[in-house]
Amino acid sequence: MTSLTGKILKAPDESRKSFLEIADLSHSFAGNGRDRRILNHVSFSIARGELVCLIGQSGCGKSTILNIIAGFLRPTSGHCLLEGKSVIGPGPDRCVVFQEDALFPWLTVRENIAFGLKSGSLSLKGHFEEVDRFLELVDLQGYGDYLPREISGGMKQRVALARVLIRSPQLLLMDEPFGALDAQIRENIQELLIKLWQKGSQTILFVTHDVQEAIALADRVLLLEHDSRQIREELVIPLDRPRDRGSEMFQAYCRQLRQGL
Amino acid sequence: MKGRDTLLALLIPAVILTIWYVVSETGIIPVYLLPHPGTIFHSGALYIFGTPGQGPYAGRFLNDFIASLGRVLLGFSIAAALGIPLGIMSGRVALVNRLVSTTINGLRAVPGICWLPLAMIWFGIGIKTTVFLVAMAAFFPIYLNTLTGARLIGPIYFQAGAMLGVSRFRSIFAILIPMAMPNIIAGLRLGMGISWAYLVLGELTGVPNGLGAVIMDARMLGQIDIIVVGILLIALIGRMCDRLLFFAMRLCFKSAKRLT
Repeated sequence: MTSLTGKILKAPDESRKSFLEIADLSHSFAGNGRDRRILNHVSFSIARGELVCLIGQSGCGKSTILNIIAGFLRPTSGHCLLEGKSVIGPGPDRCVVFQEDALFPWLTVRENIAFGLKSGSLSLKGHFEEVDRFLELVDLQGYGDYLPREISGGMKQRVALARVLIRSPQLLLMDEPFGALDAQIRENIQELLIKLWQKGSQTILFVTHDVQEAIALADRVLLLEHDSRQIREELVIPLDRPRDRGSEMFQAYCRQLRQGL
Repeated sequence: MKGRDTLLALLIPAVILTIWYVVSETGIIPVYLLPHPGTIFHSGALYIFGTPGQGPYAGRFLNDFIASLGRVLLGFSIAAALGIPLGIMSGRVALVNRLVSTTINGLRAVPGICWLPLAMIWFGIGIKTTVFLVAMAAFFPIYLNTLTGARLIGPIYFQAGAMLGVSRFRSIFAILIPMAMPNIIAGLRLGMGISWAYLVLGELTGVPNGLGAVIMDARMLGQIDIIVVGILLIALIGRMCDRLLFFAMRLCFKSAKRLT
């Protein structure tokens, strides 16, 4: 790596290990009579409060890693430890914002956001105020009574963000959530995500294949290589936020990451 | 807009009625094959609003209607109570599907009318046979449509539910049924339609009352006008049942209201 990665500003290795630890993770899918290896001894760790982007070409296993951490998938071998405890299924400490629209189509925006609260102890009145607070947080005041099919793709993903943030998960897993949005809307929602992340205490693992997006968001970028199915590179982005996409440094990081891909 | 829709819906019946009137009036089709619309109207009015004594069928409608409706609703309810849960299980659990699909699809291939002789031996002549036939016939569309609806739900919705704290059992009611609702409703409406068809079949076997019984009775007495009245009434009531079912589902379920 070049001199750009020389200054590590955040999170020394010790505290990194304490939150999310992926150790020697391998996964294979059975298909057409033979096993297809998706992940090959992948290891990395994330510190509490960090925003890490996982980047790689499509089909390199990024989503598989996310699904394992979310608890939707059991790895063939290896460990996924959250605060030292092995992940064995979905839990309230982790939430996913999916790539595609996964809102419940028969529920209004407000009901979608409240969906995860039902098992909670808040009264219905309390629910309502809480939901309104999160509607405001993602700039969707006035859209509470719309159905998902009546709002745009960018708004849907903001609802998806609100419905998981309301459960205040410690770890937010994002699976190319803005991939389908057009450029301007994507930048806006990226800024919104950074704002919410700076306000809250979430740790975020953000999967993307977009270099600009990774550099704009991440404290640290992990590059998952398609051929070896391993983490090949780690790039720390010490730029201050909000980040100027036109700046020399920003472009230099983009170039470097692109070379790695 | 609403008024224009109603007009459009009534267009074809009006055209048929006009043609019917013309062919009867001019004698192209003799009245012993197809009675004059005026005769039908008169017989129908007598059947529905008359008092006993004015004619052989006068005033019988309410009694027949209640008897038939009861049989349809009972048979239909049994079909829905079996078809929806079984459809959901077959749609989501591969093992269940493998276990029951051969049997169910085999039975489905048997025309409903084949069950009539057997049903008469098992249940005798009367309400039980009719209800059995109705339930048997309505089960298949309800089961198959529910199965399709349940199977088509993407895994992402269940993953979303799991991460939002919905247990596997609760997800049946919180996610699966609402997502499958458009298909479930399609199945119920098809089932309701076929229920009326098999009601008449069941009632042809000599029950004393019911709309199908009246048609059979009129055939034996050569009263074509009453046969036609019966047919028209079944068409009308079947259509109303369909609208009511749709309306009731939309009233009871958010998912039905918003997804259909």
